[in-house]
Amino acid sequence: MGLTADLNVSVQSLLASTESMDVTTTNMANMNTPGYARRRVVLEESAPSGDDQSSTGVDVKTVQSLRDSVLDLSINANTAQQNLNSTLSSSLSAVQELFSDTASGSVGSSIDSFFSSLQQLSTSPADSSLRSGVLTAAANVASAFQSTATVISQAQQQADRSVVQSTDDANSLLQQIAATNAQISTAQDLGQSSNSDQDQLSSLLSQLSAIMDYKTVNSSDGLTLTTSEGVPLVVGSKAYPLTSQVNSSGFNDVYAGNTDITGTIEGGNLGGYLQARDQTLTSLGSQLDQFAYQFAKAVNTVQTAGSDANGNAGTALFNPPDTTTGYAAGAASAIAVALTSGSQIAAASTGGASGDSSNLTQMLNLQNQAIIGGSTPTDAFSNLTFDIGNTVSQANSNATAIGNILTQLQNQQGSVQGVSLDEESSNLLLYQRSYEAAAKVISTVDTLMGNILDMGVTNPGY
Amino acid sequence: MRVNPNYSADMVNLMDQAQQNENNAAQELSTGRRVSLPSDDPAAEAAMIGENSRSAAVDQYTANSDSLTSVLNTANSTLTSVNSLLQRAVTLGVEGANGSMNQSDLNSIAEEVSNIQSQMLSLANTSYAGHYLFAGTATGSPPYVADTANPSQIDYVGNDQQNKVQIGTGLSVSANLPGSSIFSQSGANVFDALQSLVTALQEGNSSAIATAQTSVSSALSAVGTAQVFYGSTVDELTTNETFLSQEKLNITTYENTLVSADTAAAATSVTQDENVLNATVEAAAKMNQSCLLNYIQ
Repeated sequence: MGLTADLNVSVQSLLASTESMDVTTTNMANMNTPGYARRRVVLEESAPSGDDQSSTGVDVKTVQSLRDSVLDLSINANTAQQNLNSTLSSSLSAVQELFSDTASGSVGSSIDSFFSSLQQLSTSPADSSLRSGVLTAAANVASAFQSTATVISQAQQQADRSVVQSTDDANSLLQQIAATNAQISTAQDLGQSSNSDQDQLSSLLSQLSAIMDYKTVNSSDGLTLTTSEGVPLVVGSKAYPLTSQVNSSGFNDVYAGNTDITGTIEGGNLGGYLQARDQTLTSLGSQLDQFAYQFAKAVNTVQTAGSDANGNAGTALFNPPDTTTGYAAGAASAIAVALTSGSQIAAASTGGASGDSSNLTQMLNLQNQAIIGGSTPTDAFSNLTFDIGNTVSQANSNATAIGNILTQLQNQQGSVQGVSLDEESSNLLLYQRSYEAAAKVISTVDTLMGNILDMGVTNPGY
Repeated sequence: MRVNPNYSADMVNLMDQAQQNENNAAQELSTGRRVSLPSDDPAAEAAMIGENSRSAAVDQYTANSDSLTSVLNTANSTLTSVNSLLQRAVTLGVEGANGSMNQSDLNSIAEEVSNIQSQMLSLANTSYAGHYLFAGTATGSPPYVADTANPSQIDYVGNDQQNKVQIGTGLSVSANLPGSSIFSQSGANVFDALQSLVTALQEGNSSAIATAQTSVSSALSAVGTAQVFYGSTVDELTTNETFLSQEKLNITTYENTLVSADTAAAATSVTQDENVLNATVEAAAKMNQSCLLNYIQ
């Protein structure tokens, strides 16, 4: 052990303290940076040196980012699910209002009014103003179907535009992820720290999970990103951008490379928009079409079995349906009143007198008959109300439940990687002291060495 | 265990939640409804659709009963007039049949019966809002007209159909009684009986007058029997309206249990949520005050 060795040890100590303070400063500076995980200097004893191998200094082994990758994965997966549910809910909010019991001019209430107008007519079957009232009520039924179909289709188009927008957003992130992958791999090849790139990657993955679900695999050339079905999105430094292609329904399908992944996206905003557009609203729209078709068909069947006020055979009240093909698609947006005068309402049975209401009774009976896919018109509407309400309600409660889980997970994540100012300040004190101590040793060694050199100066005669 | 140093996100979450709860409770208070959208309670909303429809139907059944009652009352009071006219005719027939009157007196009685006959025609052709009450379902034209070949004979040109009006689910009443069941029943035709009385009086034939008077009496009792239909149907409608208003009340009560806000609970909730919000905000404001940096010189 010698003074020179002490000097070396102290210099190492100075360097280690400086680096530690650098890390502390970095932590403090990035305490609010998204994706940033607090760093910590890992110190180790250096290899012994000196004649008797007794001087052991300190080395900075590495600067470590404190990150729990399992927790990160879990947070991203939950974020994807939460966004899917909240997006699904918001995409359906305008539509579900039309199925509320207070919605004025809803399909359900207009059908109620239609039957009321028929009831009124039954008290005075020849009354021309009551007959006009029935036509008005029928027109309201038609326009209720039409406007509901329009709102559903607008919601679908809105979701479709958002699908394209989300695809663009995802592409920008995929490219950044690929670039970051490349940087990490370069840094690793050069033996440099990739901590800041990892932070960046973490932030990008978290942003991507808000848009869509994905799987990650760590491979030799960095992180590989695929869809849940294994279609590659990012492999190493190469991103496979998503593209959209218009399908036969006029909506945009999402492709990764040449693979249609539309049906496999089950998370994030994109998943929510797709589920609203392709599942909930599509199903609702076709049920509404069936509803309109079967309602019109049932009314027309009774109407054509009777006689109108002038003794003529009744003709169809509603257009369509085309009963020859039984084709219901688009019926809700196409339904319209075909009659032009109230006198054409076939209140009488065939050959009945102008004041006969026996066919009207048949038409009134429709209200309590299972004419819409095995349900009465009211029950059919009520089922739609339940379905849409239940979908939104489940999406809301899922979003809330997942939100609570996320809060827990984010707290855990914060406890692992969050920067605590108190902790950093206290570390700063420690590093400051060790720096001071090392500096003190250096100045002491300096003094001692000076003394030794002075000895030569004061006794030149030896 | 290390504690998450970034509590602000947590705090914001808590404040959001408290604010959301308070907003919900305030909305319940202002709208009076716990459920505003299908997603608030899908089952309750689905049930509301059914109840609204039932409620509209009950309203309509009540309206049906009201308008039917006016029609039936008009018909009923018409038949009351018919009744008193026929009674007068019977009295006149009895007077004419006792043989103490000379032909000139009998002629003036015949004149009065003839007047009764023409009043009877206009009563049998009574219309309500432009529709003939005793024409069966052929309500567009007068049901009783003078026979073209034999003008003293009155023919029934209506039909014998009855309309049904629904006054409840699966419950309907006949809305009319055709003239053929009132004025021109076989064996008790009002017009024929009156005509035979006029003829007998003009001829001064006591026994024929007595026979004709008997015919008028049977026509009178036939009309009286028919009139029961109107009285009993109106009674049925009145009873049914009482039932319907009870039904309406039941529906409204049930609807309230489905979707109405519990005002007391909502008001309490507003206060509680406001307290939670205040407490959270105050806690958040205090938590930032201490930091080790403040103490390091």
